[in-house]
Amino acid sequence: MRPLGLALMESDPVDDAALLRAHGAGDPQAFARLYDRYDPSCFQFIRRLLGAHGDAAEDLHQETWIAIARNAAAFDPAKSSFPAWLFTIARRKVWDHFRRQKVAVLASAQDDAAMMIPDPGQTPLEQVQSRELAQEIVAAVEALPLEQRGAFVMFAQAGLSLEEIAQATGVAVETAKSRLRYARAKLRQSLSGKRSAHV
Amino acid sequence: MSDHDATPDPMDKAYVQAEAMLSDDAARAARRARVLAAVGQAAPEAAPSTPRRAWARGGWLVAASVAGVSVLLATQIRPPIMTEPPPAPTAPAAATAPITAEEIPAAPPAAKAPPQASPRPSRAPAAPPEAPAREAPASEPAAPPAPPPPPPPQQVARTRAEAPPPAAAAPSPAMDAGLSELVVTGSRIPPAERRISAPAASPASLATRLRAAAARGRTAEVAALLRRGVPVDAPDDDGETALMEAVRANHPDAAALLRRHGASLDLKSQAGQSARDMARTLGDPDLDRALDLDD
Repeated sequence: MRPLGLALMESDPVDDAALLRAHGAGDPQAFARLYDRYDPSCFQFIRRLLGAHGDAAEDLHQETWIAIARNAAAFDPAKSSFPAWLFTIARRKVWDHFRRQKVAVLASAQDDAAMMIPDPGQTPLEQVQSRELAQEIVAAVEALPLEQRGAFVMFAQAGLSLEEIAQATGVAVETAKSRLRYARAKLRQSLSGKRSAHV
Repeated sequence: MSDHDATPDPMDKAYVQAEAMLSDDAARAARRARVLAAVGQAAPEAAPSTPRRAWARGGWLVAASVAGVSVLLATQIRPPIMTEPPPAPTAPAAATAPITAEEIPAAPPAAKAPPQASPRPSRAPAAPPEAPAREAPASEPAAPPAPPPPPPPQQVARTRAEAPPPAAAAPSPAMDAGLSELVVTGSRIPPAERRISAPAASPASLATRLRAAAARGRTAEVAALLRRGVPVDAPDDDGETALMEAVRANHPDAAALLRRHGASLDLKSQAGQSARDMARTLGDPDLDRALDLDD
């Protein structure tokens, strides 16, 4: 499923694995094409996972792509899709960063009670028309618990399927699904009331 | 859980619109140039067309080449002692020691340990990155290199004269084979085994290992260390325990194992965070279940 973000970028008919193979064979343009397909979603994934510690996003993004380039031969399209592989690496880079930094990120602990609050059921935002509202949405996403945040960004922005998200995060599909559901519920909850103020 | 979870949601659309509104094309272009330049300098580790078996054969050839070159170097560096009789049988490895010390670091990549001890999730994804297929870096030719020319006869003679009894007992080709085996075999000792069997580690270093193993989700190593009596809640300088490390890295199996051994959920680090706090922030149902935080 490539519903949103990636759907706009997939006019290139050459598949990801072929581009990786071409890169391994020394074609520099192949890697650039692959990068262009996934750069925005990959970067935003890293950036949103880092949250308030987003200064490291550029470096981790670069490290991710270098890892992709160096390990292109290790990619097996029979085992996973390229996006799942890419986000596995990106997520690991962020996790490594958290560990190195002793995760000051976790100081912004969220009240887990939000998980228990019923989904309001309505989406408060049908169209994002102001920069201020966009910033509030992004801030709400960054306030989600990490795994829920990751699942939401991978699904909404990068267009990964639940199976790919499960693969990238090493969990069962049901777990990935519940993370996504919790994330959406919390976003609706935290953004409720924004529509009238901004739209 | 309904199928609605697997379909795009208006909330998703709002987020995508927000990201699009906040995106900075100039920054993206700069990032692209920087990343692609960095990637251009980082050659792929292996050509995808290089089959594993070819490298396996090449590895032996390269190892044999290294051994041959090392013998050559040893004979050139060490002064010839043509008039001296061979050393007594009780003096082992007089010739092999310098050869090993110089040549093992230069052994082919097939013989080196996995590149970086990247923390792997305890529930490994199907295509773990940065892990396998590192047999042949791009700098290595796809075809195995040709074996080096044999050393001149007088150099071989000098080598034999210097060689200790174990090598001298065998003919020169056997010595070369032995060296190549030494190069290859020596580097294939699993690092984990070396870690576990390391003698006389201090309690502090064992506690450090416990935290590191927990952070990487290495449950077997965690269990082994706990069996050795390492205190389960031994903190590091920041007051962080193995359980905090396991939770932070989201390794439910390791966290559950530590909990079964009595690790505390409520000890606080110097930053004021407990493992329970970290788990709540992470929001992973699997981790919550592993820690009995479901309620």
